[in-house]
Amino acid sequence: MRRPDELVDGAARALSTRLAGGLTRRSFLARMGGAMLAVTGGAAVAAAVRPEESEAFHLCGHIWTTGSCPNPIGLPRIDRHGYPLRPGDGRPIDNLGRLVNAEGYAINSAGDRLVGPDGEPLPRAPRTRLCEEWVKERYGLNSHTQGSWYRCCGNQIRKLVDCCSRSTRRINGDASLVGYCWNGNRVFCVMYYDSGLSC
Amino acid sequence: MVETFTPAVCGSRRRQRLALAGFTLGAVAASALVGAALGAVGALVGTQLAFVVAALALLAAAREAGIVRLPLPQLRRQVPERWRSELPLPVWSVGYGIGLGLGFLTFQPVATFWVACAAAVALGNPLAAGLCFAAYGAGRALMAAWPRHGQPDPTAAVESLARRRRLLLFGNVGALLVCAGLLAAAPAAGAAIQTLGAGLDPAAAGTVLGRARMDSGSSSVLLEPQGETPVAIPGGAAPAVDGDLLAYDDAQGVKVINWRTGDLVARVNGEVAKPALDWPLLAFVRTDSTSKQLVVTDYSGPASPTERVIVRISTMNDLGRPSLAGGRIAWHKVTATSSRIYAQVLATGRRTVIARSVVLVLANPSITSGRVVWVAQGPRSCSLRMRRWASPTVKRIYRTTGTTRLLWTTALTGRTAYVTRWSLTTRASTLVRVNF
Repeated sequence: MRRPDELVDGAARALSTRLAGGLTRRSFLARMGGAMLAVTGGAAVAAAVRPEESEAFHLCGHIWTTGSCPNPIGLPRIDRHGYPLRPGDGRPIDNLGRLVNAEGYAINSAGDRLVGPDGEPLPRAPRTRLCEEWVKERYGLNSHTQGSWYRCCGNQIRKLVDCCSRSTRRINGDASLVGYCWNGNRVFCVMYYDSGLSC
Repeated sequence: MVETFTPAVCGSRRRQRLALAGFTLGAVAASALVGAALGAVGALVGTQLAFVVAALALLAAAREAGIVRLPLPQLRRQVPERWRSELPLPVWSVGYGIGLGLGFLTFQPVATFWVACAAAVALGNPLAAGLCFAAYGAGRALMAAWPRHGQPDPTAAVESLARRRRLLLFGNVGALLVCAGLLAAAPAAGAAIQTLGAGLDPAAAGTVLGRARMDSGSSSVLLEPQGETPVAIPGGAAPAVDGDLLAYDDAQGVKVINWRTGDLVARVNGEVAKPALDWPLLAFVRTDSTSKQLVVTDYSGPASPTERVIVRISTMNDLGRPSLAGGRIAWHKVTATSSRIYAQVLATGRRTVIARSVVLVLANPSITSGRVVWVAQGPRSCSLRMRRWASPTVKRIYRTTGTTRLLWTTALTGRTAYVTRWSLTTRASTLVRVNF
């Protein structure tokens, strides 16, 4: 038996996905209206979702639509150049999800280099951009970081970034949206960058 | 067949024994050959067929118990009787043995033979499958020889056996059920994947397995030749084995010794490590202040070995443990932007990229003349991958999941791969054997 809030959320998600599939984000929002979204989605989130479930609504500032870009840890937090960061504290991580120092070597939380089973410091692993390298390798797409928009999350301004490609399918497996992509591209997946600027 | 091996047919008791010996020889040799051929097929197609054989055994048991009706593939023929009159006794007796020992040229009253065939393929080892299958030929010979003991008339002995057919069938059903159970349990018990205790940096050549061990911060090399006393080299690390020769690195550099005698065969001093051995070729990684170099030294002329630098990279990047076999060398290179597995034909210098990734860490290849294996490390899982030189298809043969259970160095011999599995949190390492 689904909870009432799940029913509301599911209906809202289906409606928004159906509408969004054929529209750009701007026209979609124009048609739906912020109030409508707030009523169907935001209200349900605020009223019924326990804090630990908030990830089910993707990430702060981005609800229900295109999924996260592939990433090492679970949330596609990036630095200003598109390289992966640890979502919790924004420290740089390599492609294996390990904290790294300025030279790119894996370190522990104290900053000491990690060592291998032979007692030698571990070699450097690749640290590559989620959109340009990860998406390209995993999905065979020629993808680029393009448009972005901003939300207030955790009292700081969060930049939500579209990873765009020519694909008419997005990472979710369904039809992709134009979003803030340009030059004939559509949104394949999204990432975010926390600016550190308070809001 | 028992009527054939009588003094009356053969001419005398001495000739009867000769005929039985010839029949036994032919039957055992032919069945061993069939087993070896099936084992060779298994070695080609892979050995993870135990569940298939178990299912076949179960099906066969059901057939023998009368639960299901299934036709058996068989040639309903007998050995040619005219051979006895046309050919010399040693020839026809051996020929009869071969004809029946092959199994598929005659009647198959029960399905067990075909289950044994499938099991031989699943074994994937021509020698072992040949030896096991030889028992089938020996059984054929036993049934030709046994009835003449204690019975004046061999036909009566066969008839008395035939009267117990129902009991024999039940016994066969029971045996097939036991086989099915054992075979089904085999993969779960780790027949294909087996942990071999603490250690890292495996080295394998035939039946010799080497590994490095870390005890209280100091390393040693342990060499375990099958059926022989293990050899320990304190202070050694990163072993590589080729026949009786063992290469390893220690505080002085890289050494090659004869592990049976302990004699020093070759030595390279300095900042050198990670040896690979395919004697008279020795490969290692040399590090200086600005670069890491992969070097191959040829000891064909032991007095004046020749050295050749295969690749040189920045010290910031990782140049992995190389592997030498069949005139090729393989290594990995991991940088901040990508990882690649390379192979180079030493005679021609032709270099190919076996695998590349801008996301994963591809590392620690091991090669034989037919295949290459390497480790692919991702954020949430690690896998051991394999491909043939002749085919671009990559197969995953082992996998760990999670962020702290990682795979490291590898070794490869025949269709058996070894890999170091270690924990990022405890740094404890274990060797894992993967038969594929």
